[in-house]
Amino acid sequence: MTSAQLEIQLIASLVAIACAIPGTFLVLRKMALISDAISHSILPGLVIGFFITHDLGSPLLIIMAALSGVITVVLVEFIQKTKLVKEDTAIGLVFPAMFSIGVILISKNANDIHLDTDVVLLGELAFAPFDRLLIDGMDFGPKSLWTIGVILLITLSLLFAFFKELKISTFDAGLATALGFSPVVLHYGLMSVASVTTVGAFDAVGAILVVALMIAPAATAYLLTDNLKKMLLLSVFFGVFSAISGYWLAHWLDASISGSMTTVLGMVFLLVYLFAPKRGLFSVLYRNKQQQVEVSLLTFLLHLNNHTEKSERHINHLNEHINWQKVRSKSVVDLALRNNMITIDKNIISLTEKGKSFTDKAIDYIITNDDSKIESIKEDFFLFRG
Amino acid sequence: MSFTEYFELLFNDYTLRTISLGTAILGAICGMLGSFAVLRKQSLLGDAISHAALPGIAIAFLITGTKETNVLLIGALISGLIGAFWIRGITRRTHLKSDTALGLILSIFFGFGMLLLTYIQKQPNANQAGLDKFLFGQAATLLARDVWFMATVTLVCLLVLLLFWKEFKILLFDADYAKTLGFNTKMIDILITSFIVLAIVLGLQTVGVVLMSAMLLAPAAAARQWTNSLGIMVVLAAVFGATSGVVGTAISASQNNLSTGPVIVLVAATFVILSFIFSPSRGLLFRQIRFIKNRKDLQLHKTLAFMFDIAKSHENISHPHAVKILNNFHGYTKKSLSKLEDKEYIRVEGLMWEMTEKGYDFALNLYNQQVEEND
Amino acid sequence: MGKQKFAVTVDDLTVAYNYKPVLWDIDLAIPEGVLMAIVGPNGAGKSTLIKAILGIIDPIAGSVSIYGKPYKKQRKLVGYVPQKGSVDWDFPTTALDVVMMGTYGSLGWIKRPGKKEKKTALESLEKVGMLSFKDRQISQLSGGQQQRVFLARALAQDADIYFMDEPFQGVDATTEIAIINILKELRKKGKTVVVVHHDLQTVPEYFDWVTFLNVKKIATGPVKEIFNDDNLTKTYGINYKVSVQK
Repeated sequence: MTSAQLEIQLIASLVAIACAIPGTFLVLRKMALISDAISHSILPGLVIGFFITHDLGSPLLIIMAALSGVITVVLVEFIQKTKLVKEDTAIGLVFPAMFSIGVILISKNANDIHLDTDVVLLGELAFAPFDRLLIDGMDFGPKSLWTIGVILLITLSLLFAFFKELKISTFDAGLATALGFSPVVLHYGLMSVASVTTVGAFDAVGAILVVALMIAPAATAYLLTDNLKKMLLLSVFFGVFSAISGYWLAHWLDASISGSMTTVLGMVFLLVYLFAPKRGLFSVLYRNKQQQVEVSLLTFLLHLNNHTEKSERHINHLNEHINWQKVRSKSVVDLALRNNMITIDKNIISLTEKGKSFTDKAIDYIITNDDSKIESIKEDFFLFRG
Repeated sequence: MSFTEYFELLFNDYTLRTISLGTAILGAICGMLGSFAVLRKQSLLGDAISHAALPGIAIAFLITGTKETNVLLIGALISGLIGAFWIRGITRRTHLKSDTALGLILSIFFGFGMLLLTYIQKQPNANQAGLDKFLFGQAATLLARDVWFMATVTLVCLLVLLLFWKEFKILLFDADYAKTLGFNTKMIDILITSFIVLAIVLGLQTVGVVLMSAMLLAPAAAARQWTNSLGIMVVLAAVFGATSGVVGTAISASQNNLSTGPVIVLVAATFVILSFIFSPSRGLLFRQIRFIKNRKDLQLHKTLAFMFDIAKSHENISHPHAVKILNNFHGYTKKSLSKLEDKEYIRVEGLMWEMTEKGYDFALNLYNQQVEEND
Repeated sequence: MGKQKFAVTVDDLTVAYNYKPVLWDIDLAIPEGVLMAIVGPNGAGKSTLIKAILGIIDPIAGSVSIYGKPYKKQRKLVGYVPQKGSVDWDFPTTALDVVMMGTYGSLGWIKRPGKKEKKTALESLEKVGMLSFKDRQISQLSGGQQQRVFLARALAQDADIYFMDEPFQGVDATTEIAIINILKELRKKGKTVVVVHHDLQTVPEYFDWVTFLNVKKIATGPVKEIFNDDNLTKTYGINYKVSVQK
């Protein structure tokens, strides 16, 4: 591994961490699309800043980019307030327009600058090691390593300083206000961090892939845990993992680094989406199936509980009246029999003592939503968990 | 090439005519179907679907090795649909919210697509150039048969739209109600959604995956401001879309080095801005004017109400009173007095005023309205 | 009551949202010609019951019949007023257009509404006192007026049984009186009207039949007989007392 390769992986990992942290909060606060809007709309600011300074590393670029991010947010909120269009339409109108302005500015001055649309979409991580920070002839490493390093440092210190406030305001905005943490300040604080991170990462991974680095690790982590600290750690882990393995994938295919980082993120998400122990697709489907059986069972028991007349308790009634297919009613009756909840005497079904007390408890819970009474049956039934 | 030259050429040059026709048709179908997307609050779904189409284009190329647009678009259609269904799966089966699902699928599919595109570009194959036209669109690559294909799809779409107009309308407004009336809402829903996906895919060559969603939204959002009828809105959106397409293509063709997508989007955005400001019933300008006028009327009405209170204490409503007593009322000015006189609500003679029959009735009416509103 | 004709019969109906049960084993028979309120606390499944009867939601068990036949065959006998908040009132359409939708069911697929349908719609608008607003964009109507438009749409269906989901929610006093008068008018003509209602105070005044619902059916019958503190307490859980005016 050459030192350039090492540096690229280092930069990619730092970008991934810097994105994963605000991304986690954006996902939890249902504001994931804001990152999409910001990443598109900073482009005209970046380009204009570049026209002025002719230096991609100039701090003016970051200021201009942040400015156009702010303009976008203001514009979207303004349009939403006019109620002329729906809220999502407002977002969908503003950022493509801003992005278009940026792209046109670039293509009109294509000869003038070495910004091109490929860089806008993909960043230029591969060239990052060649743009070095030189002070008095001393080589301090790649510039972008310093940029993203500083941004990450700021993000981390803000995270540690305001972790409690962020946590409370994310999960319970009302409580946060009551405790004296202004949700508005935190909201705009988070927006600013997200914007600055986006600008910093833009250089490395491009406009649209910043969105992937913000959302995908957080979304993946959210499928595995509810705990904020664990979620942050997991997002960082997924981010770094995909940064490094993405780099090697790109190396092997001789293709875009940021493209393959995103692809790895996508594959990790797919795996977790399918196989996560509690929230993965397979376990959700399994649980739904269980719940369906249990609902059927309870419906059946309740029906017996409600009706004393024999005609309602005749085994054929299940097929006709409750409107179930034969197979399903048979499996439900079998399940109830197995659990000693019913007895069948000459095709007439009756509840046993156990069945009766179970039904009473269950109905009590459903009506009152008070789960203290059903602790004893909770273990056996999916229905009563969460 | 300058702008005027372009229009001269438009009538003589076959290629240019083809391209302009193509973008016009595209704009029209996008406007039409975009109206439905906007009204169904699916504005951002289009964005996700168009981004998700990119890997499909690349894979179609990798498998077939052809740059035949139709083949590539079939790939786009398939991966766009996979993206759309995955979004649905994520929001239905997990606790991730729709914004996360949209952003996730959009960026991951796009990233995967870019990986494939850069991979293809590095291949030693002379055939690979030009796939990146799907990023920001290049109308100049439209061929006559592409345009024919678009026209056919648009025609079919239009026919279905006319045939099932009533069903589309009721589904958009109140799906549950439509279901109770016996309409198969699932089928209408699938029909609308697949048409929207089709429009997106058709537009990829001209507008590109990155900005395609704006092409759906902008004409519809602009059209909505001018009318309160769904039919007129759809027609207007089609007209706005077609105009944006043609004008955008003209501008980008008259410049070097300019993708069509961003230009078309900016033209459409101009329509939106103009509509937001100048629409007579909803526009911001007239809203502001109405607001100012209302405030002035309110001042006048307050003065009149004050005078009404005085006048009604006398048996004869036209009993003259001194202007002086109005000085206690802070809404009163010389100007408002003369305005009331112009409207013949009062008569002023020297330093005295008296209420007219008309003024009394009007004030009484105002008073009753207020009582009703307070109810 | 034995031989009374039932407009709606619900048998052993169980409904779940995402496998979380919201209605359990409901048996309900609604006699023809009553004006019935469904009452119960929030989340009791009142709207769900109506939606399940109308086939908007598929039940996991049980069956519904309208005059003895499955709902699907009797659609044209049933009118529906959804909750006002369930639609987008900024939709580009006029009051007349919305009311016209009530005739779509009898038209079936593809056929367009014509003069006859327009006449029906105009008559329905007149019945709710909204004729002068027929060309008004629906977003420019007040809450009460929007509710009246919804009612007019159901009237345009010319049904025998009407289901209404909180028709009095967010309407002014005048509209409330206008609506209840129309409902009483319908009952006089022998129609059956089922209303999800949450203002317990007005139940005895407005309705002659009531169903108490809280996941299970608590009670159903004539207001005079069963609208009492005992059933209210059973339904609302806590010791519930309303001063029932008799």
